[in-house]
Amino acid sequence: MTADTRDAPAERARPNRLRVPWVDDFSERLRGPELTSRVGLWLGITLSITFLTGLWSHFQQDTPGWLTIPTSPYWLYRVTQGLHVISGTAAVPLLLVKLWSVFPRLFRRPPWRPGRAQLLHLAERVSIALLVASVIFQLATGLSNAAQWYPWGFSFRSLHYAVAWVFIGSLLIHVAVKLPVIRQALAEPVDRDEPAPPPGALTRRGLLRVTWAAAGVAVLATAGSTVSWLRHVSIFGVRSGDGPQGIPINRSAAAAQVEPIDPATWRLEVVYRDRAREFSLDELRAMPQASHDLPIACVEGWSGSGTWTGVPVADLVAAVGAPDGSRVFAVSMQRRGGWRTSELPGQFVADRRTLLALDLAGEPLALDHGYPCRIIAPNRPGVLQTKWVRRLEVYA
Amino acid sequence: MTAWRLAFAIPGVAALAYAATRLWEVPADAWGSVLTWLAGGVVLHDAVLAPIVVGLGVAASRWLPAPWRSPAVVAVVCWGSLTLAAIPVLYGGGVRPDNPTLLDRPYVASWWIGSAIVVVLVVAAGWWRLRSTRPWPPSPAGRTR
Repeated sequence: MTADTRDAPAERARPNRLRVPWVDDFSERLRGPELTSRVGLWLGITLSITFLTGLWSHFQQDTPGWLTIPTSPYWLYRVTQGLHVISGTAAVPLLLVKLWSVFPRLFRRPPWRPGRAQLLHLAERVSIALLVASVIFQLATGLSNAAQWYPWGFSFRSLHYAVAWVFIGSLLIHVAVKLPVIRQALAEPVDRDEPAPPPGALTRRGLLRVTWAAAGVAVLATAGSTVSWLRHVSIFGVRSGDGPQGIPINRSAAAAQVEPIDPATWRLEVVYRDRAREFSLDELRAMPQASHDLPIACVEGWSGSGTWTGVPVADLVAAVGAPDGSRVFAVSMQRRGGWRTSELPGQFVADRRTLLALDLAGEPLALDHGYPCRIIAPNRPGVLQTKWVRRLEVYA
Repeated sequence: MTAWRLAFAIPGVAALAYAATRLWEVPADAWGSVLTWLAGGVVLHDAVLAPIVVGLGVAASRWLPAPWRSPAVVAVVCWGSLTLAAIPVLYGGGVRPDNPTLLDRPYVASWWIGSAIVVVLVVAAGWWRLRSTRPWPPSPAGRTR
């Protein structure tokens, strides 16, 4: 951010002449592998956390055959998805400082003669272009998705997943290419060969501290959507945490085109093979009720916790004579939008904290929370906690 | 060293190959948008944001008195990057009338108030640095090229 302190060749230093800059035109006082490798290390760590937690979130919705999602701890998905968005947000200042520190290298000229050096130069450029494009893509689409803004013409979920693999692949290749430089730079003190700063200017160490502070500020300003004690600090959080019965909502009844039901005539269907039973709202309320404090944790990274009361799904499965460990499909009354149905794998059905909830915070569910009844299970993403349930299909 | 480099490079190539199989599934009519977003971020950074930051640095080294330079850098790095991360909530493209629990904070007002506080802090910090370091060393000649 300071002007060049080194003597540039007289021809290049001539002012008022527009031309493409050279790599040497930029100040190298703060820039260098000492700074880049340290910021890059933490950028790599935060983005690897987003990659792993993102993969975990993807597996909640598309579970591979070898994986059994556990029901405990009940807060696991809340933490992993909160971490996904928090570490992605912290990566924004780290990425910007990292790119600033290597920006002059964009203006290196490729070797003139065709040959191995030119080929290597081009290969490195392509791998870095993939890395930078995929990181910016992931951060931009992820932050937009958290704010439920979709200004693009592709499926967010499938592209965020595909480009995550472009990112992790090009990151690993980048680390492989730079490993000797990184190792040497990290072994040396950050201020190695650093010229004395001009009066009042930052040192490299100072810029590093500012970068860490910027990452911290970005987290504090947004994390209140999931870390409730930060909600008064997080001026840019996507949710304040307010909502009907103390929990925000993602899809309203209006958006799902669900009408309020008539509690006298409404029936819940529970189907197992050729057996079907209907339950009125009064019958459901007459069954033994259980209460649990469980979070709604959304893929967008926000979460909130509530006290849910209702019938354990295991009891409804037993009521139609289905065996333990059966799977349950919950079918919603919603007419619009995705995730109209969800599957509860056997371990979730067997867990007695998995409820067909009727009440939240001691009152009947608000219409936007899924009145008359909804699924609430421990350690599940919000999209799978199906609202406005009208039918449960049980499969042994 | 070579073994370590291969330990990163081989899974890296495998991940890219898997990414290619996922991208292969992208429907043809979505490709324009995907490429716009992939290339757009790089172009916006390299051709717009980075030149602006470099220009700000040059301008600051010419016209901003030395005591205010570091506070200005701190402000630009912290508040500038936070502003970029907050574009989706500041723009409010996801606001929906049927869901008052989403994007339910005064984001734009917070941004203006925050910006005002940042400006006041930068001015005050530079002033404090000017007062506490006396005499303030002169800038070396040639720094304002």
